Amino acid sequence: MLEYVLLSFKADRRRALMSSLGIIIGVVSIIALLSVGQGLYGGVNEQFGDLDMDLITVRPGSGMGMGPGDRPASTPEEPAEFDDKDVKIIDNVLGVKDVYPLKTTRVLLSFRGDNTSVSVIGISPEEHDDLKVVVARGRFLTGSDYKAAVVSHDIAEDFFRMDISPGNQIRLYIDEEDRYSDFKVVGVLEEDEDPTYASSGVYITHKAMDDLLDVEEYHYDSIIVRAEDPAQVEALAEEVEKDLSRIHRDEAYNVEALSTRFESMLEVLNMIKYALAGIGSISLIVGAIGISNVMMLTVKERTHEIGVMKAIGATTWDIRTLYLLDAGMLGLASSLLGIALGWLVSDFVGSVANIPQEVTLQSIVFGLLFGVVITTVAGIYPANKAAMLDPIEALRAE
Amino acid sequence: MSLVEISGLEKSYRVGEMEVPVLKGIELEIEEGEFVALMGPSGCGKSTLMNILGCLDRPSKGRVLLKGRDLSRLSDRDLARIRREEIGFVFQSFNLIGRISNLMNVELPMTIKETARNARSDRARELLESVGLGHRLDYSPSNLSGGERQRVAIARALANDPSIILADEPTGNLDERSTTEIMEIMYELNVGGRTIIMVTHDVETTKDCSRMVWMRDGMVQEVTS
Ligand SMILES: Nc1ncnc2c1ncn2[C@@H]1O[C@H](COP(=O)(O)OP(=O)(O)OP(=O)(O)O)[C@@H](O)[C@H]1O
Ligand SMILES: [Mg+2]
Repeated sequence: MLEYVLLSFKADRRRALMSSLGIIIGVVSIIALLSVGQGLYGGVNEQFGDLDMDLITVRPGSGMGMGPGDRPASTPEEPAEFDDKDVKIIDNVLGVKDVYPLKTTRVLLSFRGDNTSVSVIGISPEEHDDLKVVVARGRFLTGSDYKAAVVSHDIAEDFFRMDISPGNQIRLYIDEEDRYSDFKVVGVLEEDEDPTYASSGVYITHKAMDDLLDVEEYHYDSIIVRAEDPAQVEALAEEVEKDLSRIHRDEAYNVEALSTRFESMLEVLNMIKYALAGIGSISLIVGAIGISNVMMLTVKERTHEIGVMKAIGATTWDIRTLYLLDAGMLGLASSLLGIALGWLVSDFVGSVANIPQEVTLQSIVFGLLFGVVITTVAGIYPANKAAMLDPIEALRAE
Repeated sequence: MSLVEISGLEKSYRVGEMEVPVLKGIELEIEEGEFVALMGPSGCGKSTLMNILGCLDRPSKGRVLLKGRDLSRLSDRDLARIRREEIGFVFQSFNLIGRISNLMNVELPMTIKETARNARSDRARELLESVGLGHRLDYSPSNLSGGERQRVAIARALANDPSIILADEPTGNLDERSTTEIMEIMYELNVGGRTIIMVTHDVETTKDCSRMVWMRDGMVQEVTS
């Protein structure tokens, strides 16, 4: 029987290919979509994976995250303004290990006649030691520094014709207002491997930042909180939120554990992944309908032949098996082809769109199973039609 | 016990609302080793009778015993097995499969029977050689003449070594020379011990027959020896 199927394949290779095009495309899309989805997932996982899961960020305004620490964004509240009082409150919450208030602004950095726009980050040096900034040359800021600055590696090496080194003088202009301050560079940071965190910029003390900006009230634009126990970070975020709400009632702010954002992001990615696989499945189903139609055509064309088979002793069961096997083999062949093509496509998409992709065993098995099962199921109706043909009538055909 | 015992056989077809009787009470016995010619005017029901004998169709009424078994009581599966192993059918229009080789056509009944591959192709080759087509094994039937095709069909009919050959106008589409060739083969098969029942319109082809059965309007009119 199997030999006979193979034979029918050989005879009808072109039609087989045509009819299985839908299945091939379906499997290709399942593989490509799943693997790109998987890659995105893996990429995010990797990027966030070594990120500190013990960090909480506190920001004024309604956050864009989806964590439980968010307050409803629709409330027309004033953004909260955070200062040292809040740092103290947070520091007093049980389970908080460190608190790092930050303030960031854009300035024009002038060095030996060249100007470039950079970020300036105001920090509290005494609490900042264990943030992931490693000094390559010179030293980091200390509490007693005033007009001292530490610059990130990229600014020091890439932004100006000459490298900035410890001991150099730089000038920071507040944009549009013709105000500036001179700073002495005391250190250059290590090249940055983790751009999400120790970001590009010029680090100065909050005191120097305050004077540079010359605002009436100096407010932090984010406060980073490190939990003692990473496992408790979400509970701690709620605790921080509760304590802050005592003095920031009716103000908008956002307390978010990084892990929360990470998790909800993974969740969304997972959903995307399966939605993509769903699209692939739909094209498979469309492909199955195509296969069913083409097989019906084949059965119709081979009516006489089926009559002959029955006349010389093939049972209903034989004919049904024959055509189901035919469909199954077609499904297997087109799924394998689809997997190979899908692999190429996801490689291509991955490199062109510069997104990570990863063909997993899981997606191969998924594609293969779906392709074979759906094609075989698509073959049931035509196979039955063939099997139920009346031999005498079938012989009369042609 | 006769090889074939037909009594009170009726067959009617439903055409729309109407029951059209085709066989109207056939009585006939055929002994093993006979060479029976079935004759009669067109439309009298010869092919219908052959199809019932060949287990391709079922009686509407009456009894058909084949080696003592009542065909109307057998399952589709059993009928298929009889077609496969006990009967060799030869048709007027050959009914070969054009997209596979002659060899595979002859192998097909054995393939369905799940005979081992080597035994299958050896026997198919032998059979094709015995009908003088040893040099056409890999040809497609569509590249053969009518006489050659009918010889392939006979080889196929013999594949599972059946004891009965049913031939429905086997020479109906053939010229004189091919007819003579086919009838020679038929004669030899009969001499070899097979029972042959053959429908024919050509009295010339009946010279080797042991008996002639004349049908008319769905009934057996006359039997001559
Ligand atoms: N499936 C069917 N439905 C309705 N009528 C049928 C069917 N098969 C055969 N008949 C009718 O039965 C009658 C006998 O047909 P059958 O083919 O047995 O004749 P025949 O003796 O073989 O004729 P011929 O010598 O032309 O081959 C014909 O009138 C035919 O029209
Ligand atoms: Mg006829």
